[in-house]
Amino acid sequence: MLLVDSLTKAFPLDDGLLTAVDGVSFRIAPSEVFGLLGPNGAGKTTTMRMILGLLEPDSGWAEVGGVRTATDPMAVKSRLGFVSASDGVYPWLTVREMLLYFADLYGVEMELAEQRCESLTDMMDIKHLMDRRAGELSTGQRQRVTLVRGLIHDPPVMLLDEPTRGLDVVGVQTIFDYIDILRRGGKAVVVCTHRLDEAERLCDRFGLLHKGQLKYCGTLDELKQETRRDSLVDIFVDLIRQ
Amino acid sequence: MSPASRKRHRHPSSRLVRLCQKELRETLRDRRTIITLVLMPLLVYPLLSMALNRFLMTATAGTSEVVPYSIGVATDAEMNSLLDWIHDPMSQPPKAILQSSGGKLAEFQVFNTTAEGKTPEEALRANMLDLAVKIESGQPPRVRLTAFNGDVTSETAQRILTERLQWLRLGYAESVADEQLQGYVPPADVTVTRVGTVEKTSMLGTIVPLVLVLMTITGAVYPAIDLTAGERERGTMESLMASPVPRSYILFSKYVAVVVVALLTALANLLAMFTTLWAGRLLPLLTGGDEAFPWLAVSQILGLLVLFSGFFAAVLLSLTSFARSFKEAQAYLIPIMLLSLTPGMFSLMPGVTLTGPLAITPLVNIVLLAREVLQGTAQAGPAVVTILSTIGYAAAAIAVASKLFGSDAVSRTSGQSFGAMLSRPARSTPTPSPQTAAMTLALLVPIYYLVSNVLIRVVPELSIVWVLALNAVALVMTFGLIPYVAVVLTRCKLSTTYQLSAPVPLALLGALLIGLGAWSVAHESFVVAKQMGIGGLDAERIEKTKQTIEAIKLAPAWLLVGCLALAPAVIEELCFRGFLFTALGKVLSPARLIVTTAVIFGLFHVVTGNMLLIERFVPTTLLGLFLGWLAYRTGSVWPGVLMHFTHNALLNLAAKYQDRLDFIGEGYDDQLHLPASWLCVLITMTLVGFAVVWIASRPRAENVVPEMAVEA
Repeated sequence: MLLVDSLTKAFPLDDGLLTAVDGVSFRIAPSEVFGLLGPNGAGKTTTMRMILGLLEPDSGWAEVGGVRTATDPMAVKSRLGFVSASDGVYPWLTVREMLLYFADLYGVEMELAEQRCESLTDMMDIKHLMDRRAGELSTGQRQRVTLVRGLIHDPPVMLLDEPTRGLDVVGVQTIFDYIDILRRGGKAVVVCTHRLDEAERLCDRFGLLHKGQLKYCGTLDELKQETRRDSLVDIFVDLIRQ
Repeated sequence: MSPASRKRHRHPSSRLVRLCQKELRETLRDRRTIITLVLMPLLVYPLLSMALNRFLMTATAGTSEVVPYSIGVATDAEMNSLLDWIHDPMSQPPKAILQSSGGKLAEFQVFNTTAEGKTPEEALRANMLDLAVKIESGQPPRVRLTAFNGDVTSETAQRILTERLQWLRLGYAESVADEQLQGYVPPADVTVTRVGTVEKTSMLGTIVPLVLVLMTITGAVYPAIDLTAGERERGTMESLMASPVPRSYILFSKYVAVVVVALLTALANLLAMFTTLWAGRLLPLLTGGDEAFPWLAVSQILGLLVLFSGFFAAVLLSLTSFARSFKEAQAYLIPIMLLSLTPGMFSLMPGVTLTGPLAITPLVNIVLLAREVLQGTAQAGPAVVTILSTIGYAAAAIAVASKLFGSDAVSRTSGQSFGAMLSRPARSTPTPSPQTAAMTLALLVPIYYLVSNVLIRVVPELSIVWVLALNAVALVMTFGLIPYVAVVLTRCKLSTTYQLSAPVPLALLGALLIGLGAWSVAHESFVVAKQMGIGGLDAERIEKTKQTIEAIKLAPAWLLVGCLALAPAVIEELCFRGFLFTALGKVLSPARLIVTTAVIFGLFHVVTGNMLLIERFVPTTLLGLFLGWLAYRTGSVWPGVLMHFTHNALLNLAAKYQDRLDFIGEGYDDQLHLPASWLCVLITMTLVGFAVVWIASRPRAENVVPEMAVEA
């Protein structure tokens, strides 16, 4: 469903180039949750942005449902759902207006968009907030609106960038439930996070990024076997010390 | 239904309308916008009106017509004497002197202050008078005029009354001299005249451009920041950029919202300003004494506000799109707002007119045009240049904004400079973007205007050979070089950008036939347009055309064909049907693309130096339509080059060998229709040409540049 091959991106600095992502490759199947893990600055967000078509890779490519980002970025974008770390909303629009706006951006017909709004807000328990201004919502409510927004066009692939950042226990549980819904819905899901404990509970497979390179990729058992360590945390500590 | 297929069912323009609606809804619901829009005018104008009232009263203090000076005396006898002197015709200045000071005679009210229980001096100190007068009896009586030091009105009253009494003394002395001194001849007899026309100075014309700048800025600044830097600060930018909508669509919808809010603010300010002035009875003073409400002036101001808002909103968006936060955006905008006040000050300078480089200087040209429109002195040529160049600058600013908005520089957490925006892309692209085309056009308008002005200045001093050579060089340097530099800088492929692929030979034959016949269509369209009142040649223009034809007759045929047929055919086709065609083809349907490029082609032929050759618009736009269709149909620029060359060569050679073409009959010089037989032959030739191209060219889908087929 999602195929990433040799993605590379370097940014110019005053004293040379910073290679943020260096030849990263992985693939994700439908109903699979892939955890892209790494410390801050490992290249997770840059990788995500290249998949989304927000950044042009220096080399390599990303392919969603058989379409490459470089060939038809709009078609790729329409197949991707994106939930960022920020719970940004348009404060002066109602929840309904905002969701329908994003549905329109993704080319969803109005009638279908309204149906999806009903079912998704019902699922995320925010149906009663539909006609309230987004600026009046609490942090948790905004987060749920953001999660619904990512699914409004029913994409086959979902990208979640640090979805639990700044959330309380209830908020984190909401994310867990959401990802479970995505998995059951046959979506291919990428979760970027540095919260290894959460990743261990959430993901089916893992990719460990360090200094822009994908050091390990596989299921937890495969990683344990390869590194002879007992947990993701141990694997990670070793990695950082290298 | 897949997302991609769903997308195809929706028309891009209706989506654009919905995007604009969302931006407007969001902006207009924001209380801060409403405060700027409604409360500011309500608060500002009553205060401004009070200040203006004081300013206008002071400005009119020297003209005694409005308020007579009040003079206080201590006795009725003094009052009578003073009134006798003031009303004595001999106390009035001579007619010539009166004319030179505006023809107005000061008026005085004299009254006895003792009725109020005060001496004249006490009344003056109590601000009840402008002047205190004391007349002591004697031969002659001694008159003491006391003014209040520092009070302009009081000092003016003192000066005028002193002069009046001096004129009285002089008149009396001259009458005595006439009676008693035989042969008395005054030393000089003065007559006062003036040359030049009086410049109508309307307060409205001076103040409005300044207010116009200020109020448009006030309205546009907040939404511009909120809709761009605000997106990032709210955390909605990435989600927006991740959606499958072209960045230019999103930016354009934000641009529309900013323009609308700026216009609404300007409109609210305009209405509040005029209502306040009307209520304060200051309107006649502003409109130069006319009692009627200046509907025409207000509608003209509104028209200019649309232009100004369009331009300023684009500039603001290009700056705020680069900002990552409200604070940063404000830091960018403060210098530009201060800079914007400087052109406003231009409107206060007498003698500065909308000519030469000022007509293409951003902001200055609009402010000067506003002043000239309001004073009724605006001229069509510079006005059109101002409007076109402003539209061009706005387009360029939007192009910059859409490049910056949501770009790497904004999305990334690390900082980047404006310089990064100018760096060449790493990979080449088949065709330029519409933004590149907009920026190129924005550069072309002022450069072409300057170049054509320079050419017109030097032409009278040069021989026809040099004129032709310079024309060709100027064409290459403007329409050739500027798009080429843009193509190189944006790393576009030359073959696809300029549609350089070889056409089917039969298409070339069709283009040749159209070129041989199309001049008749162009000529007939010119005649018809003239009959409909569009363009036409006046006697002066006909004379100039005849002079040009006489000069052309002296030029060698090869130079004529090279400079007026080959150079324009190649350069203009590469620019309009190559560069512009492929760039705009990404966002326009084929029909709109052909019409748009033809109109731009026509407009460039209309503006020549400071002159506006309206009569050229219809024929050149029509020619542009033919050429656009050829480029669209054949997918190549070469048939257009051949047609353009044939058309131009034919016309110029016909001009050169006019004397040998008498067999055609009268017509061209007299602006009449061509003989029917010729018309039939030429139109048939054109139609056959079109048919040949139609048959020869392959179906559109195979010719089209890849991007043109993809929905933008």
